[in-house]
Amino acid sequence: MIIKKYDHNYGRRQLLKNMAVGAAAGVLMPLDKLFAAGADLAKAYPDEIMSIDMYTKGKINTGDYLTADNVDIVKELLDPIVFDQIKTMGRRIKIRPTTTDFSVMFPAEFHAKTIENMNNGVTAIFDKQGNVITKDGKNWTGGLPFPSPKTGAEIQANLAMSWGRADYNQYAINDTVFNPDGTKAYDYEFIWAELQVQARLDGTVFRNMKDLLRFQTVYFTSTQDVAGSSFLSTWYYDQAKFPELYGYLPQFRRVRQFPTNQRFEPLIPGVTWFLSDPWAAGDPMLTWGDYKVIERKPMLGGFNAKWNGDDENWRAGTHGGPNGDTFWDTDYELSPEVAILESKPVGYPRAPVGRRLAYIDMRNNMYCGNIRFDRQDKPWVNFETNFGQYKLGDKVVLGPDGKSPAWSWINIHSFDAQTRRMSRAAHQKENKGGHKSEFSFDHDKAYSRFFTQQALQRLGQV
Amino acid sequence: MTLFRVVGRPLVLPLALCVVLSGPVIADDGWFEDFDVSFNGFVRAEIAGSTSGEENPNNQGGNLQNNQNASRQSFLPPALNPLSGVGSLLGLGGVGAWGTTPLPFADTVRRGDFVKSTSNDFNYAVVRTEIEMNMQFNYEWRFIARVRAMFDPEVYDAFDANDVAGFQGGLESGPHANSALYEGTPSYFDYLADQGGNPNPLEWTGSNYQVYFPTFLLEYASGDLSLRLGNQQIAWGQAIFFRVFDTPNGLDLRRHSLLDRGLEEFSDKRVPMLSLRATYQLNSDILLDAYVGRFQPSVFGNPNTPYNIIPSQFTVHDTYESGGYDDKISGGFRLKGDYGQFGWQASFVSRYATEGTFAWTKSGVNKPLSGLVGSVINTAYNAKLPANSVACPIYNSATCRLYGDSGEAMANSSFSVNPGGVYSADEWFQYAALARLDAIGGLNAAVNEFDGARDIYASVAGNVSESVAELNTFFIAAGGSLRGHIERTYHRENDFALGASYVNESDNNFLNQLIFNLEIQYTPERTFTNPTLSRQAIKEDEYTVAIVVDKWHRFSESLPGTYIVFQALTKNRSDLVGRHLSGYGRVGLDSLSPGDTTTLKDAKTGNASYIVFGFLQPTANKIFEIELATLIDLDGGILFQPGVRWNPGRGLTVEAFYNHIDGNVWGDNPNTNMISSLDFADELSLRVTMQF
Repeated sequence: MIIKKYDHNYGRRQLLKNMAVGAAAGVLMPLDKLFAAGADLAKAYPDEIMSIDMYTKGKINTGDYLTADNVDIVKELLDPIVFDQIKTMGRRIKIRPTTTDFSVMFPAEFHAKTIENMNNGVTAIFDKQGNVITKDGKNWTGGLPFPSPKTGAEIQANLAMSWGRADYNQYAINDTVFNPDGTKAYDYEFIWAELQVQARLDGTVFRNMKDLLRFQTVYFTSTQDVAGSSFLSTWYYDQAKFPELYGYLPQFRRVRQFPTNQRFEPLIPGVTWFLSDPWAAGDPMLTWGDYKVIERKPMLGGFNAKWNGDDENWRAGTHGGPNGDTFWDTDYELSPEVAILESKPVGYPRAPVGRRLAYIDMRNNMYCGNIRFDRQDKPWVNFETNFGQYKLGDKVVLGPDGKSPAWSWINIHSFDAQTRRMSRAAHQKENKGGHKSEFSFDHDKAYSRFFTQQALQRLGQV
Repeated sequence: MTLFRVVGRPLVLPLALCVVLSGPVIADDGWFEDFDVSFNGFVRAEIAGSTSGEENPNNQGGNLQNNQNASRQSFLPPALNPLSGVGSLLGLGGVGAWGTTPLPFADTVRRGDFVKSTSNDFNYAVVRTEIEMNMQFNYEWRFIARVRAMFDPEVYDAFDANDVAGFQGGLESGPHANSALYEGTPSYFDYLADQGGNPNPLEWTGSNYQVYFPTFLLEYASGDLSLRLGNQQIAWGQAIFFRVFDTPNGLDLRRHSLLDRGLEEFSDKRVPMLSLRATYQLNSDILLDAYVGRFQPSVFGNPNTPYNIIPSQFTVHDTYESGGYDDKISGGFRLKGDYGQFGWQASFVSRYATEGTFAWTKSGVNKPLSGLVGSVINTAYNAKLPANSVACPIYNSATCRLYGDSGEAMANSSFSVNPGGVYSADEWFQYAALARLDAIGGLNAAVNEFDGARDIYASVAGNVSESVAELNTFFIAAGGSLRGHIERTYHRENDFALGASYVNESDNNFLNQLIFNLEIQYTPERTFTNPTLSRQAIKEDEYTVAIVVDKWHRFSESLPGTYIVFQALTKNRSDLVGRHLSGYGRVGLDSLSPGDTTTLKDAKTGNASYIVFGFLQPTANKIFEIELATLIDLDGGILFQPGVRWNPGRGLTVEAFYNHIDGNVWGDNPNTNMISSLDFADELSLRVTMQF
C-alpha cells in the first residue's frame, strides 16, 4: 500500500494560496531553485498534478485521446474554446506524459543563458517607464528576465523580450483558413523572420542599435493575391512606442511607410489572427496594461508537443471539423502550474478587444494559448500555439549552436469562436518557392535579406 | 476572318526560354543546390458598364457634333481676292481678310450624315490572365518572368472606317501613321509608331489581344546590393497616384485608362522598361536606388477605343522610331533616409519625358480638294506658276505654287482630305476647347509653319470670324472634312525631387501615428505641348508639390480600423496629365463674338491643384473591403470612386467599383479643370478573379 504524502487537492489548493500571496512558481519548493540547479522539476509539485492518470484517478491515462466522450472529465484543465472544439467539433487530442526536464522546454542557448544569469546574479527590474532593464540599469542582456515571476507584468516581460527565444528565427509558415462550414477558403504561405537587436543570447547589441529591440518581417509567398507583399516592423526597446512599419504592396510596386497603431486588423483576407496575437505579446508590452494573474492551476496544453519530423515538410496530420481536416493532430500534456494572465489593451481606444487571457506554463514561461475577449466579454479568438523540441526519434533539426535540438512553435490553431472560422498554421520546413525555415543563420546576412528597405524591395513582387 | 493579328517581335524566344528553364532540373549540390521554380497566376474577367449613357466625345461615334447642324459659308481666300491677294500684287491696293468676299457656296452640315453615331452599354470588357514564374537558382541569382495576356471580345458598337469609305475617297492614315489604327475598326491594344514597329519590347499585340512581359529579368543579390537587369517597372515615392518621385516609367492607358481601382494605383499601368536597376543599402538608415534604361514612352488609347483621350479627328504620327528615340537612355537615382520618426528622400532623373509633346506635322496624304469650291481652288492652284521658276522668281502664294498640284500641297500641310475629320468651324472651336487647345492660334500655327497650307491659299486669321470663314471654306472645299495630323515627339529633361517624412506621435488618438510626407519636384525647362500645336513647344520651369498624410483609425469597436489617405498636389505649369495650363479655360463658338481674337475666356491664373481622399474599410476577417477614392480638381471637377471587394476564399475575388465623374461641379467652364476630360466615363466596373 502506497501512503500518499498529500491529499488529492493539495496541489491545487497550494497554487491558489501561492497566487494569493504572490509567491513564485512551485508547490513543494520554488521552481526556480530546481531550474538553476538543473534538477528535475518533479520535486516542485505533488504527484497528482504531475500526471493526468493520477489527476483523473485513472479515468484518463497517458496515451489516451481526449474526445467528446471523455472531455467533461478534464473540463477544468482546458481553456473553454479547446474544450468546445473537442466537445462539439470532433477534435481529438492525445495525452502525453508530463515533461520534467527543463532543458527540453527551451532552446538550449536560451536555457543556458538564463541559468548563467541566475548564477551570475544578473537579474531584471522594470525602470520608471516599465521597460525591462538589469538591476544595474542596462538594457536586458538576454534569457528569461524573470525566471521566477511573481507578477503579471513579469510574466508578460518574459514573453515580450524575445519572442522566439533565439537571436534569429525564420519560420516558413502555411496558414490554411477554413470557412465556418469547414470548407477550405485560403491556403496562404509566408515567411516570418525575427532578429533580436537587444536582449540577445550572444550578449551583443546588433550593429550597436541601442534604441531597438528587434526586427521582424513577414513576407507572403502565396497565394497569388498576396504573394510579394512584405512588411518590416522595427521594434523599439521602449515598449511604449509603436514599431515603425514599412510595407511593400504589389499594387504600389514600392516600399511605403504605414501607420502601426492599429493592431486589431486582419492582415490578409480570411485569417482570424491579428498582429496583436502571436507570442501572446504581439504588441509593445506597455501599450497593454492591467497585467494580472487571475488563476494558477494545473492545465492540459500543447506544451512540449510532438514535432512532426516524420513528415517531409514537418506537417502534422489533420482531423475533425466538418470535413475531417480542421485540426492538427496534436498531443497535450498536463502542466502542473499554469498562470492565467489577464491583460487589457489600455493603449488602444475603441479596441474591439476587452481583455486577453494568456495561458502560461510556469515551467518555461511560455504560453500555449491566448484568448481574446470582445468588449461584451465573450470569448472571441483563441490563438492556441504548440511548442516543442524539433526532435523525433533519430530525426532532429539542430538549433543555432549546431549541436542541440531546435525548439520552437510547431503549429497553431487560431479559432474564432464567434464566427467558427479557423486559421490553422504550420511551422514547416519549406514553403513553395523554396523559402525555408532557419534556426541557424548568419545574422548579418539575415539583416540584409529581410530587415532593410533594400531587402523589402527585393522581396516584393517585381 | 482573322481572329488574331500579330504585331511585334517573335514571341517564341522568351516563351521557349521559360519552358526550357522551367523543365525538370536534377541538382543535388553546387550552383543548383537551392534551385526552385514556382508559378502563380490568375484569370480575371473585367467589365465596365456605362451609366452615363454618354459616348466618348473623342471618338467618331461619340462626337458631340454628330447630331448638330452647322452652317458653313465659303469665302474667296484673301490670296485670290482681287483687292487683297492677286490685286494687291498687281498694285491695285486694298486689304482683305477671310470672310470679306463670300462665294455662292454655303451649306448646312450635319456630321452624323457622314459618320455614324455609336451607342454602347459597355465601356470595357476583357479577360485577362497573368502568370508569374520565379526561378531561384540560389540566393544570389533569380530569374523572374511575369506574362500578362489580355483578350477583348469587342462587344462595343465601334467606329469602322470602312463605313466612311464612300466619302472623300475614304479614310487614309497617310505614310506616317499606321493604317491599322485608322483605316478599319479600332485596335484596342496595338501600339504602333510611325515606322510600324511596336515601341514596347517583349510585347505582342493585335487589335483584340495583348501579350507582354511586364517583368522579364535576371536578378543578382549579394549582401546589401541587388541588381536587376531586364524588362521591369520602377516606382518611387510615398504619394499614391500623384507622380512626384515616381518618374522612371511611363503609363499605359490602353486598357482601362486611369479608371481602375484607385487604391491599386498604377499596378498594371507602368510601362516596363529595359533597364538595369541597382538597389544598395548604404547603411541601416539610407537606401540608394538607381537605374538606367531604354526610354519607353507612355502609351495612350488608340483612336475610337473607349477611353481614347486624343480627339479622333487627329491622325497621330508617333516619331518614337523615326525620331531616333528608341535608342535614347533615361536614368536616375534616389536616396532615401529613415530615422525613426523622421525621413527624407532625394532624387535626380535625367530622362525623356514619357508623355511627349504634340505638334502639327505634314500629313503626307496626297489628295486634292474636291467639290465645287475645291475645284475652284484646285483650278486656281493649277493656274499658278511654279515657284522659283523664271516666271516666279520670288515666291508669293497668290501667283506661285511650290508643289505640282493641290494634292501635293495638302500633303505638305498638316491636313488631309479625309472623312472623319473636322466638318465645321463649330466643331473645330468646340474640340479645341475640349482638348485644351487654342482654336485660332492652332489654325494660324498650321498656316504659318507649313508652306503647303499657305500654298493652297490658307492664311493667318485675325479673329474668330476670319477663322470661321477660313475653316468653313476649306471644309467645304474638302468635300466634307479635313483631318489634322500631329506628330508626337519626346524631350529630355532633368527632374530634381526632394521629400521629407514625419510620423506624428500624440496622446490624441486621431492625431497619433499620422504619417506626413512632403514631396517636391522641380524640372527646369520642361517641354510642353503648345496649345496652338505649334512646332515651337513651350519650355518652362515647372514645380510640383505634394503632401501626403496616411492614417489608420478605428472609428468603432465593431469594425476593424480604417486606412485613410489624404493627399494634395499643386503644379504651376501643367495639369495632372501634362497639358499646359495656358490651354485651359477656352470656349467654343457659342461663347465667342466674331471679333474676339482669343478663345480664352476663363484663363487659369494660378496653379492646377488637386486633392485625393481615400479610405479602405475592411470588415471582420477582411472578407469584405469597402473603399473610396476621390480625386478633386479644385477648379470644379471630381472623380468619386466607391467600391467593394469580396474575398470569399477558394481563390475567388470579386470587386465592384463605381466611377462617378463630374467635370462641372462648380465654376462656369468645365474646361478649367482636368476631370471634365473624362466626364463621359461614369461607369460601374465588375471584376471577377480566380487565382491559381
